[in-house]
Amino acid sequence: MTVTDVHRTIDAVWRIESAHLIAALTRRVRDVGLAEELAQEALLSALEAWPRTGIPDNPGAWLMTTAKNRALDQLRRARMLADKHALLGHELEMEQQFGSYTVETQVDQHIGDDLLRLMFIACHPLLSTQARTALTLRLIGGLTTAEIARAVLTAEPTIAQRIVRAKRTLRDAQVPFELPPREELTSRLASVLEVIYLIFNEGYSATAGEDWMRPALCEEALRIGRILAELAPRESEVHGLVALMEIQASRLRARSGAQGEPVLLMEQNRARWDRVLIHRGFLALARGEALTAVRGAYLLQAAIAACHARAFAATDTDWVAITALYDELARLTGSPVVELNRAVAVAMAYGPAAGLALTDALLEGGALSGYHLLPSVRADLLARLGRYAEARAEFGRAALLTQNARERALLAQRAAACGQHLSS
Amino acid sequence: MAYMLLILEPTGQRSTRTPAQGHDAYQQMLDYSARLRQRGVLIASDALKSEAVRFGQHNGHAQRLDGPFTESKELIGGFLLLDCHTSEEALVFARECPAAAWATIEIRELGTCYE
Repeated sequence: MTVTDVHRTIDAVWRIESAHLIAALTRRVRDVGLAEELAQEALLSALEAWPRTGIPDNPGAWLMTTAKNRALDQLRRARMLADKHALLGHELEMEQQFGSYTVETQVDQHIGDDLLRLMFIACHPLLSTQARTALTLRLIGGLTTAEIARAVLTAEPTIAQRIVRAKRTLRDAQVPFELPPREELTSRLASVLEVIYLIFNEGYSATAGEDWMRPALCEEALRIGRILAELAPRESEVHGLVALMEIQASRLRARSGAQGEPVLLMEQNRARWDRVLIHRGFLALARGEALTAVRGAYLLQAAIAACHARAFAATDTDWVAITALYDELARLTGSPVVELNRAVAVAMAYGPAAGLALTDALLEGGALSGYHLLPSVRADLLARLGRYAEARAEFGRAALLTQNARERALLAQRAAACGQHLSS
Repeated sequence: MAYMLLILEPTGQRSTRTPAQGHDAYQQMLDYSARLRQRGVLIASDALKSEAVRFGQHNGHAQRLDGPFTESKELIGGFLLLDCHTSEEALVFARECPAAAWATIEIRELGTCYE
């Protein structure tokens, strides 16, 4: 194996093992920042040793042993240089936790629990969403600072600072390495799911031709989601989120045209949908639905995505089923954007007039006043009803509101087409 | 990216095992699959039974052939379909596979057959 090969293998080992390593170390040293430092030192040792000795049979255990021994060395040095009474609290605890210089050979039986705790810490509500995202990609995903920076289109020093500050915040607040108490579990889990879905959407929003680290975020989010589903198998919304991501990801290869232009769901070539991912999505959806009588937001969105996935052709879509799901989702969230999507579904299932009535209510409500999709949807429904003058006006309104040049051009085209109907 | 790990056993090896040894080998692979599932990379995996039937061109026409195919040096003993970030990652998982002790593991990326 060349040195480059070994380095690439070490990169792969790091991506696979680092989260478990940091989690196990955090349980012992009670500080995520220190745990990561120890883990990084073990990685440096591996980079130095493995090109000579070869990749060990159990790379995870090797890294853990090295990190542990490094911690004990630090402790010895601190002892020699200082009075025993001056030892910091965490060093005393480390001594208790690490004991002697023994080799780790067995899989840590706490590992699943530790990893779950680490996820909760990385997504702690004390941290900003951006900080949670960066910390999760780093500690759970094992991405380097440079990789995270490329993935989220932010400068590397900014990401580095974000991570440093996040760890400091957690340390200062003395966030415990425990699972959240029962009464907080739902909200804390929601925080974790929010971060995972944010990472997924960051990846999904990437267009062809952008840095490949960006669409790779979809894979990263999916992997973290699937791991979480194994760690918290009785949480229905976890399976719901995984199902939603699997099914959305199944459309990745179908949503760009030959020139890289976006292709809408109803116009996509469904032969390009990844059926393995769709199948996994259905399995996750079933797991989630089996756990609860009342579906949460992710499960409902996943169920809607599954309706689309089930239709081999766009014309096979079960819009009545989708409408019922949107009814439930709208009641649950009270979100005007969901209500707009519900209007689209109602129009497909029960005719454009019924859909239009729902958008009238949204217009009166005023919540979506700057949102280009409201007039865009209204325009489409009006055109389908043959009300071309009003449709043209709404297409015009939508074109003014959108930031996207391509979309503006499309809306202008549709306005012109309405104009032609009027003059003919 | 999806990778297939194919477990290639030496032909005849299975019949040299005691039932206990066979069960043990299977259990090791089950445990391994469970670890892969915990890492969020397992799409599908299973062992393949020993009985094999072939269908293909023989003596100029398509026909069925019944096993065992003792002239083959290898028996495909099982498969794992993994979702990995890189081919190096698939290789790391192959290294950790218990079957590496008694078989050869072939790693193939999923893709077109014409490149």
